[in-house]
Order: sequence, then C-alpha cells, then structure tokens
Amino acid sequence: MVLRRAARTRLAPFGAAVLLAAVLVALGAPLLAPYDPLEQNLGQALARPGRAHLLGTDNVGRDVMSRVIWGTRVSLVAGFASVAIATLVGSLLGMLAGYAGGRADGLVMRAMDAVLSFPPLVLALALGAVLGAGLTGVLIALGVVYTPTFARLMRGQVLAIALREYVDAARALGAPGWRIAWHHVLPNAAPPIVVQASLSVAFAILAEASLSFLGLGIQPPGASWGSMINAGRGYLQQAPWIVFGPGAALFVTVVGLNFVGDAIRDALDPRLRG
Amino acid sequence: MARLVLHRVAAIVPVLLLVTAGVFALLHLTPGDPIDAMMAESVDASAKASLRQELGLDRPIHVQYATWMGRLLRGDLGRSIRTGEPVIENVSRRIRPSLELASLAMAVSLLIAFPLGIVSAARRNTAIDRAGTSFALFGICMPNFLLALLLIFLFGVTLRWLPISGYTDPVEEPLAGLRSLVLPAVTLGLALAAVITRTLRSSMLEALAEDYVRTARAKGLSEWRVIRGHVLKNALIPVVTVLGLQLGTLIGGAVITEYVFALPGVGRLVVDAVFARDYPLVQGVILLIALGFILSNLLVDLLYGWIDPRIRYR
Repeated sequence: MVLRRAARTRLAPFGAAVLLAAVLVALGAPLLAPYDPLEQNLGQALARPGRAHLLGTDNVGRDVMSRVIWGTRVSLVAGFASVAIATLVGSLLGMLAGYAGGRADGLVMRAMDAVLSFPPLVLALALGAVLGAGLTGVLIALGVVYTPTFARLMRGQVLAIALREYVDAARALGAPGWRIAWHHVLPNAAPPIVVQASLSVAFAILAEASLSFLGLGIQPPGASWGSMINAGRGYLQQAPWIVFGPGAALFVTVVGLNFVGDAIRDALDPRLRG
Repeated sequence: MARLVLHRVAAIVPVLLLVTAGVFALLHLTPGDPIDAMMAESVDASAKASLRQELGLDRPIHVQYATWMGRLLRGDLGRSIRTGEPVIENVSRRIRPSLELASLAMAVSLLIAFPLGIVSAARRNTAIDRAGTSFALFGICMPNFLLALLLIFLFGVTLRWLPISGYTDPVEEPLAGLRSLVLPAVTLGLALAAVITRTLRSSMLEALAEDYVRTARAKGLSEWRVIRGHVLKNALIPVVTVLGLQLGTLIGGAVITEYVFALPGVGRLVVDAVFARDYPLVQGVILLIALGFILSNLLVDLLYGWIDPRIRYR
C-alpha cells in the first residue's frame, strides 16, 4: 500500500531503478567487474576510456570501471549501515528519554544537544581520526553524528503517543510497560522514523565519500568513490576520467536515493510534501 | 527580548559542559595507547614518557579532566605536540581566510538564491521554475569536493581563467586575493544557494496563497509590489531558520573546500591536525569550532526572535 503510493510520485521510478541497480552492482561486483580492481598495469596507465577500459584507467593502470563497481559496495554499506546504527541507537535513546522522563530524559537530550553542537562533518572527522582509519571507524563516526536526529524524533513521538487513549486503555487493562512500548508506541512512532532514515541514507553516502576523500575510511589500494576522486585530482589535466567515473556514480546514486526518500516521505506522511 | 536572551544563554551551559567533556574524552577513545597513536614506534621511550607526562596522561582520569578544564577556563586550549605552538595562536592566524571564504560564499549563495527563488515562485510551473528547482536538486545532491574539481577542471585547467589553488591575501593584493577566492566561494556557496532557493520558493508559494495577498492584488498593486511589500517579508522567516540549520553544513563544507583549494584556513588546520595525529591540536580546534558553532546558532535563534515577534512572547 505504502509502496504503491510511493511509486505514484513522478520521480520515484527513476530513484528506485537507481537504487536497485546500485544494489545489484554491489552484490554482483565480482561477476560484473571486467578486471581485478587492484591489479596494476603500468603499461596501461592513464589510458583513455575505450573498448578495453570503458571508463579508462588510473595512474597505475587500474581499470576505473572495475573500481567504481567495487566502490559501490563500500558506499552502500556505509550509507545503510551507519543510518541503521543511528536509527537503532537513536530510537532506543529517544524511547528511554520519552518514557522515563525526569532526569534520564534531561541527561539523554542534553547529550544529544552536545553532539549537535559540532558541525557534523567536523565531528565525524575527529571521531574517525581517533577510531582509526578504516570503514568501521567511519561507520561508527557517522552513526554517532546521525543519532541525535533519531533520538529527538523518537522522543517527540513517544511523548505524543503516550497521551493517546489506546495507551490509556492498554494501561488500564494492566499491560506491562515494555508491552505497551512494543505493541502500541513503537508501531505508531515508526513512520516518521522510517521517513527520516530513508532521507538520511543519501546524506550518509555523501558523508562517507567526503571522509574517504579526505583520507579516512577505506585505505588504499581499496576502492571507494571518495578516495578514488581524491587520488584522481592530481591528474585532472591528463586524465579527468579518474575523477568523473566515480563522481558520476556518486552523484547519480545520491540523486536516486533522494527521489526514493522523497517518495517514501510523501507516501507515509503527505503533510510534509514540499 | 531580554528574557529570550537569558533563557537561550542559560540553556547553553549544560550543553557546553557536555561538549567539553566530549572533547576531553576524544583523546581517550583511541584504541590502545594515545601516545603510541601520536608518535611513531621508532620514537624512543623517554620522549614518549615526557609527552605522556606533559599531557598528564600518567595521572588518574578525573585529575586529568580537572586540570584540563582548569586550563580551559583560563583560556589555555593546549598546544600542538608537533610545533609547540598554542592552539589559540594557530587558529587566530588562520581564522581570516576561513571568514573571508565563508562570507564570500554566503554572498554568492544569496545572489543566486534570491532572484532564482523569487522568480521560481512567481512564475510557478514555467520553464524558469523548472530550471530553478532542477538547480536546487543539483546543488543539494552534488558533493562539494566533486563540484570543486569540476570547477577547477573547467575554469582552471581548461579555460585557465582562475587560479586552481593557493591563497593570496586580499588585503595586500585585492585583485589576486579575490581571484584566489572565487572558485572556493562558488564551491561552498552553490550548495547553500540550492537549499535557500528551495526554501524561499516553497515559503513564497505558501505566502502567495494567503488572503492578504489577494487583498493586496485587489487593491490594484502591481505583482512586483505585492511580492516586495507583502510576500517576501513573510517568506523570509523559514529562510532564516534554514540558514541557521545550514551553518553546520557550511563549516563542514569549508573544511573540504579549504582542503581542495589549499587555503590556509581553520578547516585545513583540522584536516592537517587529524592526519598528523596531533590530538591536542585536534581537541583545541574542534572545541573552538564547536564554540563558534554554538554561538552562531544562538545568534540565529535571537535573530529569529527579532524578525518574528510571535516567538519572543512564547
């Protein structure tokens, strides 16, 4: 029902197609990549896009297309996993704050305010730096950065839903607190959380690419779009394709995910339609 | 208004405490020994021991925190372990390029967003509106490092109109200085312009549907005067909110922009400190950035109360 409504939005089919294609490419990377993404071939360095190498090769002769294909995995994993972490942790914290009230509420929400007191990318950069370079550090860093949004959203939902009559009814029937939370509050609080999560994935992918571009995240020679773009910027004059291949993949994926997120929002919460 | 100011300032205090605790904890989040993370393995044990002592890492953690906070309150944000330079001096040397970049970017974004947002809303569903909304989508989805490289490729490498990196002080050499800031400012400003265009268009559309607009039109005012006198003012409130919300993105964007264009600003300092594993410097700069961010948000909050009197009395 929700999906059918989402599909009716004009740009949603394009977004869904992009997302589906990205997922298929990520899953099928070993089959789809024409070359080994790490294999160097100095004789073929900086080759122009052509029949042998559809997107050309980089400065050590690696096939750009194969690296873009493998990089899809990193981007999708980073986008979805970091948002999943934030959704889970944020919702739990928000629920705790909204349900417990009082001191716990104050402490949790001030802590969330503190996280929001840092510009997101700067916080992610600092966390990624102390956690050590690598995908795990970036996932945790982005998870932390996005957590407050979900905590605030969930808390607001819990506070609003706790006043509803069906919660009173459940309580009057003697249902224990966790049962009310699980059966009554959570299902009703879910839609805005789902909307926020779907809109956040595109930003998380952008953020991972930014951190990789700066040198955190997947380390060389591993392929991620952001690090490929950074590595290629010294060759803009001779070989712009090193930058434009992963750049186009990143841009199209983010646009597609934005359309999907907008469509899900419109379907679940028509009031927010822009 | 005074009550609003007091209320907002009081709300900041606990957050500030938590922010400082968080920045302090940063050093202790390193997996393993932070000293090993900061110094290469080859460095001999006595140098490591003296750094450990200097940073107070050999003492119990609550003592470390108390000492660190005590220094903070006296305005001592620590010093770089690489150069020994105090954080404050390092940052004050680099703040001007960052501010120049940010204000130029802001100017670029307003110059693009206002005409585009107003015309898009006034000429809804025409070609120009579609161009405006497509631009907004492009700006929001385009990562700024990619945009920077596209601009460098186009205006620096291909057309050779503008320098592709480096910084010239615009106070000493106005023209060369401005030229060195054009591409960075456009890079940083475009994303902001996209968000403002989108917000202004939708808030104008909302205002255009109000009864007072119908009344103004019925009085026989020209469309331009209706927009200028009645619509624009009411449509500005969401724009200010969004500007406030975008501050964080702007600072993050400045970090990347300064990195790509090799501008010697505070953002570049963060990246350099992170990769030099100069954690005391990272802590100091991050704390200053957070303080600046909190203060700017406070200003936006107060500005909001000033623009919209309804907020003052809530």
